[in-house]
Amino acid sequence: MNTNIAAMGEKDIMLIFKAVGADVFPVRDINKASSMLKKIARENYGIIFITETIASKLDSVIKEYAEMVKPSIVVIPGLGEKSNYAIEVLRNAIIKASGTDVF
Amino acid sequence: MISNINPTRMELLRLKKRLLLAQRGHRLLKDKRDELMRQLIGMIDEVKTLRLLIEKEFHTILEGFMLAKAKMGPYQTEQALWFPKKKISVDITEKNLMSVKVPIFKKEITGTILPYGFLNTSGEMDISLIKFEKFIESLLILAEKEKTIQLLATEIQETRRRVNALEYRLIPEFEETIKAISMKLTETERSNTIRLMKVKELIRSH
Repeated sequence: MNTNIAAMGEKDIMLIFKAVGADVFPVRDINKASSMLKKIARENYGIIFITETIASKLDSVIKEYAEMVKPSIVVIPGLGEKSNYAIEVLRNAIIKASGTDVF
Repeated sequence: MISNINPTRMELLRLKKRLLLAQRGHRLLKDKRDELMRQLIGMIDEVKTLRLLIEKEFHTILEGFMLAKAKMGPYQTEQALWFPKKKISVDITEKNLMSVKVPIFKKEITGTILPYGFLNTSGEMDISLIKFEKFIESLLILAEKEKTIQLLATEIQETRRRVNALEYRLIPEFEETIKAISMKLTETERSNTIRLMKVKELIRSH
């Protein structure tokens, strides 16, 4: 299955993704981000990169896609403070699976 | 114990068969759970180090890119990058890992990374873009691994529930019911024999 790559986040970071040929979706209004992500996920994108700051606000939407093969939502760090969102998501998945925090 | 079941020999045989099946399923599922767990544990460390490495590297690349952008001016940068020559797409194939379907990404790239001429752009921009191009590969690997962990975790959870349901609910229930039915059956048999003995005695005394 041939799919495209999408990137979603602050406009500044999006430019670099644009350069490598990914389809970019700059987020201007955080309130519209969740409907935007849903729209992107319905289309033919295999991987969606999303910046940490946005991802932490869209937690519930991202979880919906966690159990599907496509799309894969990958959280990338943004320019601001690191929040370890991605690590936390993985940790939760592992706690769910094993019952203990082995991460 | 299963309520409202007829204590008959037929029922007993049927239950014994179901118990055997449940025990076999339980053993199989337990093996599956253990193997999935092994796979997951093996991947955890790998993903964690990869994730931390990638976050660090992405940060440096982004910093370089921002500096280059500041040097060139935002408008210029946008103009230079807005029409990329490069087109990236990923080919997803599914791999079957213990009946869990996990994706494998393979990137397909056409065109070069630098979509602009050399006139209005700075060398720093070139450097950070080329770095990022190499970096995208490890991002894809990370995407694949993280997804696999997520999917494995869900599958493990499901399998564990099934194993526990069989182990602590279904199998004991069957065993109990089988015991109850066989007790009931022997009881009727005994009372039958006694009745026969009594009748025999009655007949003899006549």
